[in-house]
Amino acid sequence: MNDRPFYLGIDLGTTNSAASIFDGSQTHMVRTPQGATLTPSVVRIDSRAVITVGARARQSLESDSENVRSEFKRLMGTKQLLRFRASGKSLKPEELSAEILKSLRADVREQFGFDPAHAVISAPALFELPQSAATSEAARLAGFDRVELIQEPIASALAAGWTDETSGTWMVYDLGGGTFDVSLLETRDGLLRVVGHDGDNFLGGRDFDLAMVDLVLERLSSGRPRAFLRSDSRNADAIRKLKFAVEEAKIELTRVENTSLQIPNLQFGDVNVDVDFEVSREDVAQRCTALVDRSIAVCLRLLEANGMHPAQVSRIVLVGGPTAMPVVRQRLSETLGAPLAGGLDPMTLVAQGAALYAASANLDARPTVRTISDIGRRVWLQYPAMTSDPTPYIVGRVSEEKASGPASVRFEREGWTGAETPVTQDGTFVASVNVLPHRTNEFRILGTASDGSAVHLSPSTVRIIHGLTLADPPLSRAIGVALASDRTHIYFERGSPLPARRTFLHEVVQTIIPGSDSSVLRIPIVQGEYEKAHLCRLVGALEIRGSQLASSISSGSSIEVTLAVDRGGRLSAQALTASGQVFEEISHLLVPDAPAETLDQAIRDLRKRLSLLFNDAFQKRNKGSEFPAQLGGFELSLTEAERDAGAARAGDADAAQKARRRLIEIDAELDALEQETQFPKLEAQAVMELSMAMALLSIHGTSHERRLLDEAASALDQARKARDVPELQSRLQQIQSLARAAYFRDPDAWKQIFNMAASRINSARDLPLARKLVDQGRIAIERGDRETLMQCTRQLVNLMPVDEKIRQLGHDSGLR
Amino acid sequence: MYLPRIARAIAENPFFVLGVSTECARREFEREGQKLLAMLALGLAEVQTYATPLGDRIRTPELVLHSMAELRNPSRRLLHEILAALPPSEIRAPYPTRFEAGDRWIEAPGLFGYGWFQQGRK
Repeated sequence: MNDRPFYLGIDLGTTNSAASIFDGSQTHMVRTPQGATLTPSVVRIDSRAVITVGARARQSLESDSENVRSEFKRLMGTKQLLRFRASGKSLKPEELSAEILKSLRADVREQFGFDPAHAVISAPALFELPQSAATSEAARLAGFDRVELIQEPIASALAAGWTDETSGTWMVYDLGGGTFDVSLLETRDGLLRVVGHDGDNFLGGRDFDLAMVDLVLERLSSGRPRAFLRSDSRNADAIRKLKFAVEEAKIELTRVENTSLQIPNLQFGDVNVDVDFEVSREDVAQRCTALVDRSIAVCLRLLEANGMHPAQVSRIVLVGGPTAMPVVRQRLSETLGAPLAGGLDPMTLVAQGAALYAASANLDARPTVRTISDIGRRVWLQYPAMTSDPTPYIVGRVSEEKASGPASVRFEREGWTGAETPVTQDGTFVASVNVLPHRTNEFRILGTASDGSAVHLSPSTVRIIHGLTLADPPLSRAIGVALASDRTHIYFERGSPLPARRTFLHEVVQTIIPGSDSSVLRIPIVQGEYEKAHLCRLVGALEIRGSQLASSISSGSSIEVTLAVDRGGRLSAQALTASGQVFEEISHLLVPDAPAETLDQAIRDLRKRLSLLFNDAFQKRNKGSEFPAQLGGFELSLTEAERDAGAARAGDADAAQKARRRLIEIDAELDALEQETQFPKLEAQAVMELSMAMALLSIHGTSHERRLLDEAASALDQARKARDVPELQSRLQQIQSLARAAYFRDPDAWKQIFNMAASRINSARDLPLARKLVDQGRIAIERGDRETLMQCTRQLVNLMPVDEKIRQLGHDSGLR
Repeated sequence: MYLPRIARAIAENPFFVLGVSTECARREFEREGQKLLAMLALGLAEVQTYATPLGDRIRTPELVLHSMAELRNPSRRLLHEILAALPPSEIRAPYPTRFEAGDRWIEAPGLFGYGWFQQGRK
């Protein structure tokens, strides 16, 4: 094993975790001391603060519930502390995840004889940035030097694609304990590409368990004066025991038609109940079909978003324990029709894929040790560690040293010798090598000096695995900065390849005085596709405090903001002030709190908006319009949110987060519907702007721009007919962009804008400066000095005040 | 720097960034992209810039990755093929070459109730 590469992949799951290693030709599962491939993601801490992880901890889940924690993955990125009563300890979710990772690391040591230093860890595709950051932190706490994160569906696809390279489009249906992810993938010419993904952060095996718990509660409540409710905090202990039992029964029912559910002495408040009845597959199907259909609706939405229909999917790869349920497989076959991929283990596929990904990232798990064979002239190499290309490039740079270096290099492996590749004067070379298919290729690097003597190079060998080339993972949600206008400045669109890095200049809307801690410039970082910043999720903020400043930041000055996201979805940010000071620390990279009162208030507000929409719809229906079908869906979603808020009041932190996220989504969907009710207004605006654009382009446009405008106009017309608001807005933006280009070619454009700004001078933020700029601008007009006029106008317009109420909505952003 | 959308579509056209022809096969641009990434990582001088109809531009690893992703998507590739084949500019008057995200003057006419910029002010 020592001579072979050793790549470690970890599936850090909600219910179970697993680790796999890839040795360059095949994957092997890491086993627990009991020989299992799965480690339950459960941690127990006893009164002596002894930590037990995995199957043994899970055994105590029912009997010692106050000292055992599970499903903490769903709380990753929140500041929720999980308490262990006997020891008095309270741990963060990432600290508990670190315990799982430590256990897996120990299993690797036991089985392979060393502590892995590097690994790839999987995370759900729809994890928000704070959740990804928490996962990385868990790895650091577990002792890993370096980890990369991989999106779970990509890992599954990579593992499935590794064994079957048939070209085509396929779907990875990943129903985990807490989340549901679906991805569309394409393999073609040896390249694995994620076409798109979608998911539901609120849907997982746990919801199936709760649906079954509700069934049991209904049966138990039958004939009693008062129903047993999940939201009653006095029932928390009984509900937990029930949940544990129905989970076992659910698993049992994947093999048999009927099973019994027996739990003695369940305490519901003052009432003691013995549970003893039979549950069947039919019961599971009845209770869970709606949940499965919810997941299928997400699959269909994903297909539609990519212009595809189910018949184009060549196969479906199932991932996650709940996919073993017959109701899931049956509904998938009925609705999507594509065959289910066989021969793959849904429980370990993610870990195997993560290990393969570690190979593609050249992340060998072993601590780096310089060996004797590494002594020689240092050479830095860049090459794909795993590729489908039969003749990949290897690019190198030889270190600059006094002694003469190689004049040429040559690569060779068993049975093949490459040509001599010259090394340029600055020590670089670009060579192409020949790889054998489907195996690990080890190449020796031979340097030759100008006098023909050998030059030893370090490293002296490189490994390239022939397999799939993995396209860069796409970003699952857009990332941007919230502005004081409550708009989102998108830095990275959804689907952007990772890693990504972008810089934009913004303007500061307030003055920050050095020395004052109360004076803060806030740069909120948000995630989501919405134009309005308050609808996007706040995932972090750069905060520049007066106490950190060397010199003041004045209102209106510029600030350069850089956001970067690595391949695993980890975010970093940097702000560079006009005076050259750099700020990098992202504060509270946390999923926001969800206190019960806030949830209740949000539900009340949404109900009010929903009722207005209902009124509007009824009035329109009386005039013959169709009643919007989605209104009923909102009612249902709000009821579910209310139920979660109830569970949150009973102490269920996960339910609180679930309610918070659901309410944000309802808010955004209601917003879209409200916009739709404004459709006539938007339509009128579109017509007006199109006419203006046509007028402008007829004078100042190029023939190509006029052609583009014609195309945009026809698309706009179609969007109007289809009442497609997002499409209409997108076309409108295109038309505005063309009109803007033409407008600025008008020699009088700057004069017009200047005159309009000058007429509003009294509302300017800095009146003396505004007056000065108006004077300068007028002189510039007289002189015909276009450049100065442009500068004055820009500054003048930027002096217009910010609406404080709107700014609060925009997460208190200090930027425009 | 924030360029207007159309200018950016030309200046950052994946075919220009990767230095490949609009007829290249998938394998070719994948190979070329990987090579460019490797050369950029090691700071090779000859790949630091690339030529466009708007002049030479800086080539970055992010731009190369983005370009590869764009060409992998068949419909996006078609769009870039059209833009890469654009004739020389017919523009008669200069268009601002540099926009900054905080520049409200882009929206200025709308701020004063003038025409087509109102929509963005919702």
